[in-house]
This record gives sequence, structure tokens and C-alpha cells, in this order.
Amino acid sequence: MSLSNILNNWSHYRRGAEEGGHHTYEHRWAMAINLDMCIGCNACSTACYSENNLAVVGREKFDKGQAMHWLRLERYWDEDSAEKEFPDSGAKFLPMMCQQCGSATCEPVCPVAATYHTPDGLNAQVYNRCIGSRYCSNNCPFRVRYFNFYSYYETSWPEPLNLQLNPDITVRDKGVMEKCTFCVQRIRTAQDTAKMADRNIIDGEFTTACAQACPTSAIVFGDTMDADSQVTRLWKKHQVVRHTTKQDKRNPELRGYRIFEELNVDPSIMYLERVRDTEV
Amino acid sequence: MKALKYLLASSLISVFLVVSFGLNSVSAKEAIPPGGSHDGVDVPQPIEFPHNIHVEDNGINCMYCHTYARRSKVAGIPPTSKCMGCHKIIATDKPRIQKLTEYWTKGESPRWKKVHDLPDFVHFTHERHIKRFVFDQDYPVEDVKEICAFCHGQLKEMTVANKVKPLNMGWCVSCHEANGGPGDCWKCHK
Repeated sequence: MSLSNILNNWSHYRRGAEEGGHHTYEHRWAMAINLDMCIGCNACSTACYSENNLAVVGREKFDKGQAMHWLRLERYWDEDSAEKEFPDSGAKFLPMMCQQCGSATCEPVCPVAATYHTPDGLNAQVYNRCIGSRYCSNNCPFRVRYFNFYSYYETSWPEPLNLQLNPDITVRDKGVMEKCTFCVQRIRTAQDTAKMADRNIIDGEFTTACAQACPTSAIVFGDTMDADSQVTRLWKKHQVVRHTTKQDKRNPELRGYRIFEELNVDPSIMYLERVRDTEV
Repeated sequence: MKALKYLLASSLISVFLVVSFGLNSVSAKEAIPPGGSHDGVDVPQPIEFPHNIHVEDNGINCMYCHTYARRSKVAGIPPTSKCMGCHKIIATDKPRIQKLTEYWTKGESPRWKKVHDLPDFVHFTHERHIKRFVFDQDYPVEDVKEICAFCHGQLKEMTVANKVKPLNMGWCVSCHEANGGPGDCWKCHK
């Protein structure tokens, strides 16, 4: 995407979800996360750390909120949890990562177009172009953008841990914003492999690190433009549709929802509500 | 009927175009080599490997030694065993080959230096480029050196490889625009 391309197509990249979003999609990567299956084990987060060269910042910086976990596990208790004993006090887990919004709030505020919408339906973050203004992070309702306040690579992987770094993804330096990419390096490899064989990407041929590591298969990743993919079927089954701020759901059995879709951000991740044992 | 007429007319036009200008869908995709040049610094190698003798004088295909170019991201540096496959017998009296044999008998590899080094934030894959410019075009594989020369220069005229193309982003993008390569940032930036 050259500069002239950006200037000519600016309106395309900034089109809202109600107008169909990005001009032409080649893929539309999406997820379905079944919270009923999530046991809060943090395997997804750990897998993300090792796949995407995420820096380990240490406890002190973690307490300041400078942790670099692209995928964090949020824990929620019931409002009246203090009055109840443990299993009834209602611990709930929710894996929260970049929702790869169809009309993302982070994109239009970037002064240098370092974050933009790809034809694959992802919110790209180009580290080389990022100047670290942090507008995107402040504008993200999900708080899933993480800023490199320090050169973490200097201390994060002391020898021989540097050998674990994934060569398919950059090690970010100070002053750069980063976030979940839906494991774009895996998408890229799958696309290359498919093109070498003159075929389309097959559903389930690859998946993100978090979905791969999930012991209960709570996370399902795929292409919603592929009508037969597992993720499309899940979205359809729970009647969750894109390009809307409110799902038309009349059946209470349907558990699918998208976080903050009322903000017209068109998230690409559908969560399935947890069914509490005590309620059944 | 109208559609049929349209089809007939368009096919006639395209036949006319093919005959008159030699244009068809395949040749329209033919490669437009990137321009530009770069004055690379000499990279001293452990053995002064003469590309010109291998490529020009002996007509060895690039992908005989750089065997992974057509099936991997990286083209690959041949293992010493590949060199010795020929040089156990050929030109054993030359000092460079004697140096190579020395490495071989010690069980070591010459530490070849990388000449065409892309930054770590760039995703580049040889296989896709070779497929696009050679196999998809039915380009004769024996002439693949002309395709490799797009980015690596004419190695048949060089001894030790030297960087003669800029290999920077603007240069890559200019070729992608000319040849219909992907224009999305995330296709190359990682």
C-alpha cells in the first residue's frame, strides 16, 4: 500500500460497518469463543506469549498496567459474590483479545495510518510506521492495545531464551503499539501454502496459537466468508450477524453475543454465554 | 440472443487484439523486471566462490545449488556435501577447491556471509516469486537465472555475489505495482 494508494482509498478504509465496511474482502477471519467451555487455565495466553514474541515485563510493571499480554483472561465474580461460598460465588472467565473490528475505532485516529483494515478483515498494526502516539489505544473500547514503554527485548529473553523467539514476527522495540494479530504469520503461511498448491485455504488447515493451545477447544477460529467453516456454522447457529449494533435474538437458548457491538464497532469475535451449573 | 451477440463481438475483438498486438491473458501477465541499481559493498567470503564459472561457463541452474528457492521462503546455501559432489573429482588442483576440501575433511562448513539480507520485519518468500514468474508463466526453468537476476543481478557476470539491487520497500512496491503483486502492508510487513 503506497502513499498514493492510501490517499486515494482513504474513504474506503474509513467506511463504517453500516455501509458494508471495507471495500472488498478476500477473507473475513473471525472467532467463536465458548465461555461455557473456558476453564480459565490461561493456556491461550501462554501460547500467545510464545507465538508472538510477547515481552515478559515483570511484576512491577505488570502492577502498573504495562503488561504486554495480547490475550488476557478476565475474571468476573457475581455482584453478590461476597455473600456466597466459592462455587456459587460465580467465577467467570473471558479471554479478551483484539476483536478485529469491522469498523474499528482505533483505525481512524492513527495519524500515520500505521493501523488500517486489511482485505482479510483484520486490524493491521504496522510496527515500522507506528510513531507511538497511543491514540489508538486510548480509543479502543476493549483496551487490547499494548504499548512498548521500554525496550523490553533487552531483558525479556536472557540467553538462551532468545532462541525461543519466533522468526516470523518482529521483536518490537520501545515506542511501538502492538496488539493481537489473529496470528497473521500463520494466516500468511497458510495463504502461501494454499497458493503454491493452487487451491483455497481449507478450514481447519491452520488456527491461531490460542485456539491450538486451548485444552477444551473453547476457541474456534476460521473464515466467515467460507460458508462451510466451523466458525461460520457457529455464528449461524447462534444467529449472530455482522453489520449490526443489536442482534435480533428472540430465542433465549441462543447464547451468542458480541462485546460492545452497540458501539457500532462490528467485532469479529462472538462469545457464547456461560451456562451456570446452579441455574440448570 | 443479445448476450450471445455480445459474446461473439467481444471474442472477435479479443481475437483481433491477439492477432494485431500479440496480447493475450498470459502474455499480459508477463514479468516486468524492476529497475533501479545499488552499489553494494564487497562481502568477503571464506572462499571466493566464482558464480560466473558455475552459471555462465558450466550452465548450472541456480536452483541446483540454491535448491529451496522453489519450495521454501529461503533459497538456501548448499551444504558442503553438494560442493564435494562435483569437486571430489573436478578441478581438485585449484587452490580454492583445495581450501574447500580442507573444510570438508575437517567436517566443517565454510561460514558463507549473507549478501542479500532483508530486515527482520520483512516477510519475503522465494517460492511464491518463483511460482509467479517461472512455473505459472511456463517460463523455461533452465533460464531461471534471468528471473533471479530481477533481484540478485546478473550473477553470471559476478564472481562473489554482490548486492546490485536496492532491495528497499519502494523498490519492492514498484515491482509489485507493475506486476500485480499484493499491495497490502501486512503481506510483507510482519
